[in-house]
Amino acid sequence: MLRALLYLRLASFGNWGRSRIRRLREPKYLAGATVGIAYFYLFFFHRLGAPPPRHLPAGFAASGAAGSAGMLPVDWLPAAAGIGALGLFVACVLMWLLPRGSAALGFSEAEIAFLFPAPVTRRGLIHFRLLSTQFKSLFGAFVMMLFSNRWTFLGGNAFTQAVGWWFIFSALNLHFTGSGFSLTRLAEAGVGRWRRRFWVAGGLLLLVGFTWARLPAAHRLPPPLADDLTLRPFAGWVAMVAGVEPLRWVLWPVEVILRPFLALDLRMFLGALAPAFAVLTLLYLWVLNSAVSFEDATIEHARKRSERLAAWKTGESRRGIGMIKGRGAPFRLLATGRPEIAFLWKNLLSTWPYFNLRVLAGSVVLIFGLWAWIQGRPEWRGLLPVAGAIAIVFGCYTLIIGPQFARQDIRSDLANSDIIKIYPLAGWQVVLGQLLAPTAILTGVAWLCVLIAALTFHPSSPALGWLTPQVRIVAALGVAAVIPPLSALQLLVPNAAALLFPGWSQSSRMRGGGVEVLGQRMIFFFAQLLMMLVALIPAMAFATALFFIGHWLAGPIPALLLAVGVVVAVLAAQVAFGVWLLGRRFERLDLSSELKP
Amino acid sequence: MIEVEALTKRYGGVAAVQDLSFTVRRGEVLGLVGPNGAGKTTTLRCMAGIIPATTGTVRITGIELAADPVAAKRNLAFFPDEPRLFEYLTVRQHLNFVARIYGVANYETVAGPLLEEFEIADRADRLPSELSRGMRQKLAIACGLLHAPQVMFFDEPLTGLDPLGIRRMKNSIVKRARDGAAVVLSSHLLHLLEEVCTHVLILKQGTKLADGTLAEVAARFSNGEARMTLEDVFLRATGGSEI
Repeated sequence: MLRALLYLRLASFGNWGRSRIRRLREPKYLAGATVGIAYFYLFFFHRLGAPPPRHLPAGFAASGAAGSAGMLPVDWLPAAAGIGALGLFVACVLMWLLPRGSAALGFSEAEIAFLFPAPVTRRGLIHFRLLSTQFKSLFGAFVMMLFSNRWTFLGGNAFTQAVGWWFIFSALNLHFTGSGFSLTRLAEAGVGRWRRRFWVAGGLLLLVGFTWARLPAAHRLPPPLADDLTLRPFAGWVAMVAGVEPLRWVLWPVEVILRPFLALDLRMFLGALAPAFAVLTLLYLWVLNSAVSFEDATIEHARKRSERLAAWKTGESRRGIGMIKGRGAPFRLLATGRPEIAFLWKNLLSTWPYFNLRVLAGSVVLIFGLWAWIQGRPEWRGLLPVAGAIAIVFGCYTLIIGPQFARQDIRSDLANSDIIKIYPLAGWQVVLGQLLAPTAILTGVAWLCVLIAALTFHPSSPALGWLTPQVRIVAALGVAAVIPPLSALQLLVPNAAALLFPGWSQSSRMRGGGVEVLGQRMIFFFAQLLMMLVALIPAMAFATALFFIGHWLAGPIPALLLAVGVVVAVLAAQVAFGVWLLGRRFERLDLSSELKP
Repeated sequence: MIEVEALTKRYGGVAAVQDLSFTVRRGEVLGLVGPNGAGKTTTLRCMAGIIPATTGTVRITGIELAADPVAAKRNLAFFPDEPRLFEYLTVRQHLNFVARIYGVANYETVAGPLLEEFEIADRADRLPSELSRGMRQKLAIACGLLHAPQVMFFDEPLTGLDPLGIRRMKNSIVKRARDGAAVVLSSHLLHLLEEVCTHVLILKQGTKLADGTLAEVAARFSNGEARMTLEDVFLRATGGSEI
């Protein structure tokens, strides 16, 4: 069995690698691979040999025992162990609480077709599956190590961290399988879902209650936020809570699994290996001894997975068939009117249900409510600038990165272009209609960020005295007015890429991920950034000049209105031109010939 | 209704369709037949305005497709062999969406009978993923018929349908033609074409081998034999028989 598995995995991996290398003959993959490899080298691999600077992030660097140099990994270790153990523990508890079907092992349809009728025992199949997950765990550990090796608060080195990640992933996999078997056993024994949840939640409450009772009264709640916003007191509190019985006993096996990852040096790492292996062995024995009939559920699981993958690959589904639920429309679509609105309606239906006006209005009310509440509490007002700064960063992130995620447009409908082209619509109408939903989503999110920033921004410098509340309101409204055309302009770039290079766009969807696909996405992303700069520079330059002239002649508010009007007009003209251009391209698009090798 | 003149479609140096001309009048059903790779689907896609023809003209109800595609497309419907649906719209929402695109003001009064005719009325709130292959095909056809097109193109319309579904589909096509629509349908099921079509066009390697009524085409390849089936005609025309 082991040899068959090794043969299957190695042969599959070899073929996968060969096909990847072979397709580098196509320029689109070669360019993507070059950029992707350069990215990985510059950001990850060239640092692997060098030890990262070991100190805590800014929030943790505080005066105290560690002095001005900040906390070192050894200072951080108890809190890291506590936080990590609590996180893993919560993940494990959720496996017992969240709804799950009967125990199913993640076999593919091909594996089911070949292995289930083969003369292999059930235990052999479980071994096959557990060993298969090891390949994923090893790969996952390698990828996570690339990231964690850059975390400045960790000790150890690339090797100890990779092994540490492997322990974490293996333990989670084994616990997931074991809990699935146990839940099926419980269900077969007549313990229903809610009864089981009652007992699990009850046990959890008891655990929290006992721990809370044993904590010193002064430390039962987290410490208040320090004026300088350092997290050292909070980290210390977490470490203390995690060390109180009975929570400490419950967290012990989880912490043991984490120890190799958090080891500061080779000695600690070697010392942590034996206990971690012991916990893994116990989990393995639990899985083997709790095994139940899993064949039916596994076949169903594989079928759904296969359908989900097929739908995702062909672009028919953005969230996967299993996750789609029929639901009410975001608004009532009348049978007559601008046809572009039909695309907005359709594309909003394809995304999360909370992207609607009700949620937007509710968020506005919530933000105003929180702001008013904080206004009456001076001890919390220190949070307002932090919230404002986070809102500004998130707003910028939404405008710059958002178009890569809000894909309810041509990119998702490319596979349906044959059907859409039959509609009696000009190309620009289709493009405009397709852009509406992601523009509306990005605009809604960015508007909330502007609102938070506007409410929390109070200039204290005398030099900014001219920024009166009235000016700030007009400025915020001006930024809000610029956001829709700016979002639309940003969205034009990835949509243009999808229409101009459908082979690239489809390839990232139809042939799975990889370094070359990552590189392709990075090329698109940088093109989008460049486009934003090129589009914004003339508008901003013109608007800035007008603002200063207007400010000199009529004061800040008329100047702002004038500048915003110019920026919006220039951006809207650019969007209109882009939509028209892409519409012409859409009318000429022949997807079948574009995707021919 | 449908006028095709000297239609040519090239992919690079390869001609998928070459110098194709024919006409389909009101009430006629033209069967497009040919071996795999003959250019049937490409011809249908060119006529539906999905892909531009390299040269030649297509007129739909007198409107030149290349000159005024929007007006021409208002009068046509295309039904691909594989139903392409939006996975996140229910059956009812599909019809609502299509109604808005075509501006069908009274679509509820049209949609109800259509759903009944194709036996999907009781699944109006289901998603495509909750429908069988045949049901999905029926939904795609109901969407295409919502705006009462005068010109219809069917590409392998019976794929995935059960025997009763096939019967209903055949009746539906014939009924639409009797009501005055011009229909072009491509299929490998030659017995279906014999039952439904008034005319037939045989394609091979993108070139027209023959067209006309079934009797006319049969006469051309019969060599004096009586009672030739379309299958016999097809095999002789395309060189696929042992004669």
